Amino acid sequence: MKNKKKVAITLGVVCGILVYSIFLQINTIRNFNSMVADTNTDEDLRNQVLKWKEKYDNKYEEFETSEKKLSQIREFSTQDSDSATQTEQQIKMNNMILGLTDVKGEGVEIILKDNSEVTADSISALDSIEYYLVHAADIASIVNELKNAGAEAISINNQRVISNSSITCEGNVIKINGEKIGSPFVIQAVGSPELLYGLARPGGYIELLNDTGVIAQINKKEIMNIPKYTGVMNYKYCRIYE
Amino acid sequence: MKKGKKVIIITIGLMAMFLATIIFIQFKTVEETNITDIENMRETELREQLSGWKTKYEETNQKLEENLQKIAEYENKVDKNEETSELLEKELDQTEILLGKVNVMGEGVIISLRDNDEYEITSADLLDLINELNYAGAEAISINDVRILSMTDIVDVGNTIIVDGQRLAGPYIVKSIGNQTYLSSTLSLKETGFIDKYNNSGKSVTMEKSDKVVILKTNKETKIKYLKEVVQK
Repeated sequence: MKNKKKVAITLGVVCGILVYSIFLQINTIRNFNSMVADTNTDEDLRNQVLKWKEKYDNKYEEFETSEKKLSQIREFSTQDSDSATQTEQQIKMNNMILGLTDVKGEGVEIILKDNSEVTADSISALDSIEYYLVHAADIASIVNELKNAGAEAISINNQRVISNSSITCEGNVIKINGEKIGSPFVIQAVGSPELLYGLARPGGYIELLNDTGVIAQINKKEIMNIPKYTGVMNYKYCRIYE
Repeated sequence: MKKGKKVIIITIGLMAMFLATIIFIQFKTVEETNITDIENMRETELREQLSGWKTKYEETNQKLEENLQKIAEYENKVDKNEETSELLEKELDQTEILLGKVNVMGEGVIISLRDNDEYEITSADLLDLINELNYAGAEAISINDVRILSMTDIVDVGNTIIVDGQRLAGPYIVKSIGNQTYLSSTLSLKETGFIDKYNNSGKSVTMEKSDKVVILKTNKETKIKYLKEVVQK
């Protein structure tokens, strides 16, 4: 009799576990189904992303053509008047400073590279691979130093630095102006080559980076082309305040 | 009695086997549910990208419309042999606003950074904040009423911070105009956001929202010496 009770309890517990497992199972199967559905929406989303990117690319091309045309007609319509030509030149110069047109000039070029000879296996336990990679903060510091040395225009891997550019790192990816960039990082700055070359001074940032492990070079350049910002600048929230 | 025991043992044995099988299956599906997480992540990322391209498209389209309108106006004036100075002035004004030569007002956030007993605010802290604000789509930024523009530098000299050549002292009031929701939510992300990150490391940082942030114009003339125009063909 006592034995029977024991058996009954054991069976009961086993049944209970079984029922529970079945419920769990059903639950995950449901999730599994929704996952299949997700893959479908993913596919759909991917297509939409591609479609909108293409739409944007086409629009941007149209926009660029209109920019050229506008600057031509502006120049043409002002050629007969001195004051108008002056205003036209001022608009042109403002757009150069803003980063809305391609510019060129002398200055320096800085190249930052991940040290690819160093791998996780080849360094000692006290060392870290982190020291041998270029970080967003390194690039941001270099850019700030270049501004301090009087740079008039800066680009990083051909992405123009404008007033609301951000240099961020998301996982392993460094982004500027929302675009992904990778090593080697080529930073070009137009300005006085002598002043800008000051970054190479002993104890300066270039030396510091070389000491920590990444490969950093700086060279004076007689002529560099810095492309315009590939996007539009627009104030949506700012209003003029007198 | 003996027969009954045998039946029970066999039953229990079968059940145990069944159970073991189910548990194994369960493990497998659990492994696969992890994939669902990644799949979901991909979806949010895709959605972000999609809305990003849509916004860029809208903005470009708007600028294109503006350009086409300007071109038409110029052409009109040229045809009639009229002065274009009004049009020119309007265009010049638009570039001057973007260059920070005009006071602006709009919705946004105001962040205050204060020195405390343990920690003094440095230029690196301000650079970090400016970067975060720009990432969150700030349109205009100032530190203690010094406007931040494309070539503005922020450096430490001794115990003071120099922004655009002007010596500033704490507390540092950073004003920013832009989409208030984006700006405030980006900065106040738990743990990884600017406010949490800085307060957790012992620095005194506070943020307030305002619908009327006023940002003063720059008081410096931008001079160009080395930049040259690229003549387009």
